[in-house]
Amino acid sequence: MALADVDRLTYAYAQAGAPALRDVSVEVADGEVVAVLGPSGCGKSTLLRALAGLVPHFHGGRFSGTVVVGGLDTRGARPADLVGTVATVFQDPEDQIVMARVENEVAFGLENMGTPPAQIWPQALEALDAVGAAHLAGRHTAELSGGELQRVCLASALALRPRLLLLDEPTSQLDPEAAERFFDQVEDLGVAVVLAEQRTARALALADRVLFLEDGRVLLDAPRDAALAWLAEHRPSFLPDTPAGNGHARPAGETVLSARGVVYGYGSRRLVLDGVDLELARGEVVVLEGPNGSGKTTLAKLAAGLLEPQGGMVDRVVRAGYLSQDPGRYLVRERALDEVALAVGDDGRARAALERVGLGALGERHPRDLSSGERERLGLAAVAVAEPELLVLDEPTRGIDPRRKEEISDWLFAYAALGRTALVATHDRSFAADRRVVLGGNGDVAA
Amino acid sequence: MVGPPRLEEELRDPGGRGVAALRLAPVPAALLLGAAAAAALLAERLAAVVVLAVVLLAVSLRAPASRRRPYLIGILGSGLGVLVLSPFLTTLGYHVLWSGPTVPVLGKLDVTREELEIAALQALRLVAVALAFTVYALLVDHDRLVSAAGFARRSALAVALATRLVPSLERDGAGLAEAVRGRGLAVEGARGHARLVSPLVAGSLERASSLAEAMEARGFGRPGHTKAPQPPWSALDRAAVVGAVLLVVLASSWL
Repeated sequence: MALADVDRLTYAYAQAGAPALRDVSVEVADGEVVAVLGPSGCGKSTLLRALAGLVPHFHGGRFSGTVVVGGLDTRGARPADLVGTVATVFQDPEDQIVMARVENEVAFGLENMGTPPAQIWPQALEALDAVGAAHLAGRHTAELSGGELQRVCLASALALRPRLLLLDEPTSQLDPEAAERFFDQVEDLGVAVVLAEQRTARALALADRVLFLEDGRVLLDAPRDAALAWLAEHRPSFLPDTPAGNGHARPAGETVLSARGVVYGYGSRRLVLDGVDLELARGEVVVLEGPNGSGKTTLAKLAAGLLEPQGGMVDRVVRAGYLSQDPGRYLVRERALDEVALAVGDDGRARAALERVGLGALGERHPRDLSSGERERLGLAAVAVAEPELLVLDEPTRGIDPRRKEEISDWLFAYAALGRTALVATHDRSFAADRRVVLGGNGDVAA
Repeated sequence: MVGPPRLEEELRDPGGRGVAALRLAPVPAALLLGAAAAAALLAERLAAVVVLAVVLLAVSLRAPASRRRPYLIGILGSGLGVLVLSPFLTTLGYHVLWSGPTVPVLGKLDVTREELEIAALQALRLVAVALAFTVYALLVDHDRLVSAAGFARRSALAVALATRLVPSLERDGAGLAEAVRGRGLAVEGARGHARLVSPLVAGSLERASSLAEAMEARGFGRPGHTKAPQPPWSALDRAAVVGAVLLVVLASSWL
């Protein structure tokens, strides 16, 4: 008997028009790793929520079909009843940390499920040790990096000794190195895993079986090798990425930004940037790369004029716009059209900008009712509508599906072709550019 | 599998002794802080409230500078606000120090020595209560407070989460202002920042909803929960509880 059996599941969120899942049937066997791929909003997260019992118990909505996990039918069993069989790690670690200290965070679920007190600390430590995070015991969760936090979340899930581990884009907030470490740990767990991911390379390498969802339907349910062949034929953008070179290199125009010997630090901590140079020319797309803490975001903000250098100089001769990381969190109006019109005060231009990012039909919707991918695009439209001559984007592909990433890249090249400039700070080595600038961990630059 | 001995030792006493600055377990520390706040509200002598505020300020300075700064700035601002505005909103005393114009609704503006004394007492009370909260927010181990809460676990967890989410709110506020500035718009003055309050609240609710979902997925609310073992109270902890009771009695009867 399968560990999890989803049979003809159709589900629509409360107040949503279209179903998020349509007639989905899937089985997961003990110890099996299933990768769930598909574009943003295709129903990946909803499928995981259904397996955890959060759909329909937490989200309400209309539910038909059955989901049976570890012999428990989720129509009757609540998420709390499934703890011990199922554990979930969500996308954003900051949205799932409950306690202030690492060991208490891991113990939280154990306390909830009634683990005998004498076993709680040993089990918590064992889980931390299993994910290589034993050294974090005693630390404040507020002091941890995103990668460390996500490992604590994984330990919290593993401490419950689940038979089925649900991972919902668990590495979307991590840099490539931290994501690699996370996947290495998942690889050694030996429990059944259902993994929804946009970073297809490692997900496909880990998977025994691959599901591909689109518009809430399962288009593919096949073993990995067969799935790779299907993806190559039908959805090639979901095949593993290859690092991009400077394939689009074109003759650059006059200089629009010149930074010389830039120095910047936060408070009493060490300098993030120490004597960094950067030059941007009209008409080019430049990618700013580097490991966590190398100062990509700081340099991007300096380029956009949001920060002033503490040493050196930044000479920018054009108007700049800046799209922050996780822009979907920072929307300020109650209608998508108003959000975009905020910068220009012109509904016509706002509508055109929404059309350009594929959100033309959603102008009347509340921004917070949009999916995470749609919000990212709304954020892009809200900055680009003013047509800044220098457009600075900070991690624009985080959590974005491969097809949408290609669209953003194409859109940026079209934007630059109009004589404007784009600077993209990103961990994503497959993001195409005219030129790549690599920031070292010690603040040096290689172009 | 059990981890290395050193870590096992750490986990037997997770988080050390709670309020490191006071060497107190969280429950006695919270009781003592609550008693200090109550004493500040009950005390009638200005000098007593000054002493309480100074002691609490000294304790709050043990928190990291970057974390305590916003709290202290807020406390200073609200304390000064009460001190400056209160004399204009009350009519009390005969020793006029300054006499101003007559304003509709408020009447004649003047400041008397008695009004200033009352304003100083009220401002200091506010400062002392806010400092007690600051020490609670920055130095008390909320996890262990929740763990010790027993039957009130849900309420204690709600308070602890609300306290812990303050820095997230701060970060989200800065992120919102930056996102708006990134579109070429200025965020200036009280009006500019006030416009960000509504999206900030909406964002917090969204964050709270995600957290609630994650908690439900980890079995929160399931009957029959247990508690991880915590170290027993020391003599100092017991003395702090007695001290808290004495402080309130003293403040209500003598200070």
